[in-house]
Amino acid sequence: MSTVKNVVICAAGLGSRLELNMPKCLVEIGGRRLIEYQLDLLRDFENIHIVVGFMEEEVMKCVKRIRKDVVFVRNPDYRTTSNSHSLNLGARGFSEGYLTLDGDILIEEDEFKRFMAKANPRETLIGITESKTEDAVYVDFDPATGVIRDFRRSPKTAYEWTGIAVIAGIEIRPEVGYVFKNLERYLPLKAARVHCFEIDTPEDLNLALQHFKPAGGG
Amino acid sequence: MKTAYCFDLDGTITRDEILPVLAREIGLFEEIGALTEATIKGLIPFRKSFLLRCRLLAEIPVSRVQEIIHEQVRLYDDVVAFIQEHRKDCFVITGNIGAWVDPLLRKLDCRVFTSEAEVENDRLKSVTTVLDKGQAIQSIRSEYDRLVAIGDGMGDVPMFEHAHLRVAFGATHEPIQTLVQLSDYVVFHEASLCRLLKTL
Repeated sequence: MSTVKNVVICAAGLGSRLELNMPKCLVEIGGRRLIEYQLDLLRDFENIHIVVGFMEEEVMKCVKRIRKDVVFVRNPDYRTTSNSHSLNLGARGFSEGYLTLDGDILIEEDEFKRFMAKANPRETLIGITESKTEDAVYVDFDPATGVIRDFRRSPKTAYEWTGIAVIAGIEIRPEVGYVFKNLERYLPLKAARVHCFEIDTPEDLNLALQHFKPAGGG
Repeated sequence: MKTAYCFDLDGTITRDEILPVLAREIGLFEEIGALTEATIKGLIPFRKSFLLRCRLLAEIPVSRVQEIIHEQVRLYDDVVAFIQEHRKDCFVITGNIGAWVDPLLRKLDCRVFTSEAEVENDRLKSVTTVLDKGQAIQSIRSEYDRLVAIGDGMGDVPMFEHAHLRVAFGATHEPIQTLVQLSDYVVFHEASLCRLLKTL
């Protein structure tokens, strides 16, 4: 089990590009909601903060059925603020490194375990995956040294930023906008591959529906 | 940063709402339970409902009330432990009657704000002050850099309005929406409440 104890899931956003009337964390894949898969992966983590905003009541209701001891952090300004704002609220008070993931990410269990095996609460570790989503943030990854040297929108590279990271000693400033923009100031940063799907658009959802393999092959 | 932690009592430190437990003694559990629930939800103003419930419960000797609270009202042990560990900076801000809950509050050993009543021959004669939770929390403001409020019902709204950080606690009841809308955090489990308070 990982030595990282604290987790922040950013699940406040509107998810408008998905064109469904629900937060992305409540989207169903294979009969289960994204947040159910995530909480299943995180079952051994002691302290989970979920940042909620859009349809917060529904998100809390769904999560509570699965796990009662989650701390819900409210971001009532979710319409006008970015993920950095949510992450800043969610991680407030944490004295050591924490795992963060966006509420719209689907990760296969073995992949997640492999990623967490490389993580510790004292060092930042960025999750990257093979480039496949629309509107990706690409990373310049050097496999020889295992670090990323740059985040960029173009040109396309082999890997993209996943929204999964263990963050240690990095201040997330809410005014900076995207989380990767906060990380940029600390480059180069250690990275590890983690095969996952980010569900931003209907096309991303179709891709995940075709390729995602839930634990146990179910 | 010097932080004060201000707790509601019923349903926040205690697992049970105290007045319905007392009402069982005089066969009014259902009635007082319904009144209490409607008050928490903000359907009846706290002051009116509280005075009515006190009047109904006034026939129970104060010493018996204290006994019932001691024997029958269950506590959130983790919350009690947190308060005892941080007793200098913890406050109980409750609309409940001081004379009734005094032994329980002594166990917590922190500073308290309660409603007050006149007691004569071991009986509650009249309620003299119904606590204004907003005023109570404001009265400690100058001593601290930051006020954290923890509560679950409509009665906690004035306390939340004057706090810097607000935690809606839904372990006994679903916290009411008005309170949730004023909150920074919502938690449903005593262990996660205490973990959160320790990190703030």
